[in-house]
Amino acid sequence: MTPTEPLLLDGVREEVVEPIRGPLTALGSDPFETADETEEPFLERLEKLRATNVPRSGLLRGAPSPSVPRPRTRPRRLEPDPTPRERVWATTPRLAEVEFAEQSGFLDRLVPESERRRLAALGHLVDGEAPYDRFGFSPGALRAAFPFFLALYRFYFRVKSEGHENIPAEGPAILAANHGGLLPFDGAMGIIDVLLHTDPPRLARAIVDRWAGRLPWVNVFYARMGQVVGTRENFSDLLEDGQLVFVFPEGMEGIRKLVTQRYRLQRFHVGFIEQALRVGAPIIPMAILGSDDQAPVLFDLKPLARRLGLPVAPITPTFPWFGPLGLLPYPVRYRIVYGEPLRFYERFGPEGAEDARLVRYLANQVRRSVQLLVDRHR
Amino acid sequence: MPAVLVTHADEPLGRRIVKTLFHDERIERVFALGAGAAPRSFDRFLAGSPPRVAYARIDLAKHRPMADFFHSARFREAEIDTVVHVPSHGPSGALASRQHHAGPLVSGVPSRTAEARLVLQHSLDARSVSSLIVIGSAFVYRLAPGNANRLSEASELDLDPNVPAEIRSWIDCDMVFHAEVGNHRARVVLLRVPTVVASGGFVYLNPALSGPSGLRLRPLGFDPMCAVVAEQDVAQAVLAAVHGGTSGVYNVAGTEHLPLSVLGRWTRRPTVPVPSSVLRAASFAARILREPQLRASVEGAHLRYGFSLDTRRAERDLGFRPGYRVGLGRAGDGRVQLEASPV
Repeated sequence: MTPTEPLLLDGVREEVVEPIRGPLTALGSDPFETADETEEPFLERLEKLRATNVPRSGLLRGAPSPSVPRPRTRPRRLEPDPTPRERVWATTPRLAEVEFAEQSGFLDRLVPESERRRLAALGHLVDGEAPYDRFGFSPGALRAAFPFFLALYRFYFRVKSEGHENIPAEGPAILAANHGGLLPFDGAMGIIDVLLHTDPPRLARAIVDRWAGRLPWVNVFYARMGQVVGTRENFSDLLEDGQLVFVFPEGMEGIRKLVTQRYRLQRFHVGFIEQALRVGAPIIPMAILGSDDQAPVLFDLKPLARRLGLPVAPITPTFPWFGPLGLLPYPVRYRIVYGEPLRFYERFGPEGAEDARLVRYLANQVRRSVQLLVDRHR
Repeated sequence: MPAVLVTHADEPLGRRIVKTLFHDERIERVFALGAGAAPRSFDRFLAGSPPRVAYARIDLAKHRPMADFFHSARFREAEIDTVVHVPSHGPSGALASRQHHAGPLVSGVPSRTAEARLVLQHSLDARSVSSLIVIGSAFVYRLAPGNANRLSEASELDLDPNVPAEIRSWIDCDMVFHAEVGNHRARVVLLRVPTVVASGGFVYLNPALSGPSGLRLRPLGFDPMCAVVAEQDVAQAVLAAVHGGTSGVYNVAGTEHLPLSVLGRWTRRPTVPVPSSVLRAASFAARILREPQLRASVEGAHLRYGFSLDTRRAERDLGFRPGYRVGLGRAGDGRVQLEASPV
């Protein structure tokens, strides 16, 4: 096994991310990476580690321990809300309770009745007289775009999925998935899959990079489809509204990775763990298979990307040779698998969000869960 | 019972505030100031004996008339204890071309800022005044990419020197009053409001849509979400501030949010998406022509990035809750337009 730099030895900022080699090292410095794969839940093992005060050496460096001095970087602390917002969970009715208009337009005829019923249920997410929520989501715009994405889902990517019973029927929850492919069709397929397999129908609100908020047309399209730019306030607002939030914790690193690293998860961002602990939301690991094959990146011209202000300047088998058309995904078969919910908040509570080491550790655990799902179902 | 002075009472928002204060039985009398003649809607307010509403015509941006008014017997006899300053927000429709808020008046200082300074100075000097309530704009905040950044009262103001002068004057006005929030002499309440919508499809305080109805420009590929509030709710927030005992800065907003394009369409100000180069040219022309409102309507982050307001502090301290919803209604001529209706 290739030795890796210890995570969190001298604070979050000094972490060193080693290039991932081999199937097991992709998990980084997981404290249990050499331990036996027992059936014991890792949280119980974490508690044991804390209780026995294991010296921080060797492979246990990554485990959070109370005996270790706090990292030099100050944990980010949010001001407690003096007045808790009166929240009413944004819920949708069950399919049997949905009332919707008869098919009236051309687009309606393209969509079967059961799917139109699901779309009609999403109209309840928008409160008030105006047909938009505060993030810009418009059920009408989603209804107009739905036939195109449903066709992609059914006929182009031929998506198969399992484990939907792990998605909570209501209340706040976070879907944490692996990210791949140059264009975010994995996100679109994930949203459609959740919508088609939940009752009451749930709209997964994908968190997108701030960079997308600057892109003409893209920012408007994302907003109308219910996606939200990833600011801390937006994230917590969605969870406090009881919505299902869809994150790609790898961020841009996920789509930037080369073909040699496909299905090897990159380092996870930790913001979603903090939010999950604060709000008390379960995290559902989600593996999306197929996204890393839809546009394999052979090279990433980083200097060019920096010069153009882009997150990635890829060379693929078809791009830039065929112009913008070369960015279109190959018709690969998608498979989506949902893992069992991880309820960190039950063990650590909201105060756990203030512990930077714990948050990093839990993020690594989620990464490990997603990686296991990916490896099992590939 | 409080006696209230309202500035710019001849403009739409000021009229609404005077009307709300007039109908509140806990208000003893209302003194309305305006640059123009008394609005006709005040006729019935002025008819009582003695009238509960008095009106005076005064240019708030000029020192001499302001000093004369605040030292007059009429002001002393009115025993004003609360001043509600409604900064000039530019009348819509035919009145928009009025010279009133066009150019700089005091050695390069925009009239809105000059008014703010004079109102603050004379209110604090007046012995009887113990409360000063000011309506500010929520467009003073620094906007960043993100389709609905929730902004609290502590959020950063946009102090970029390249901010259009129209917005800059709102920021200056905001800072003038914000600096006096801790004043022991009088309590100062600053209400930051987003786009104000009035029945009949009128819209105020949105730099992109200010001025008379007609076409507007917006950047191609952007359509920011705009927080809106009904003018009745703004008046209710002012009333709550008059009766409340707190001082501070408060965000006041309704529950609805609309894209700029939809808001423009519903208020007879349809927006045309144009490339950035066209906007830059329009901005340059506005600078040459010294048209600050035109410049603010074609330049600035508010044309690209939306925001929503965190109103929890106003709910907690003032007891403010929006009582009106903004939606579509059909006018008498069959035209669909924006309406505010009670919840």
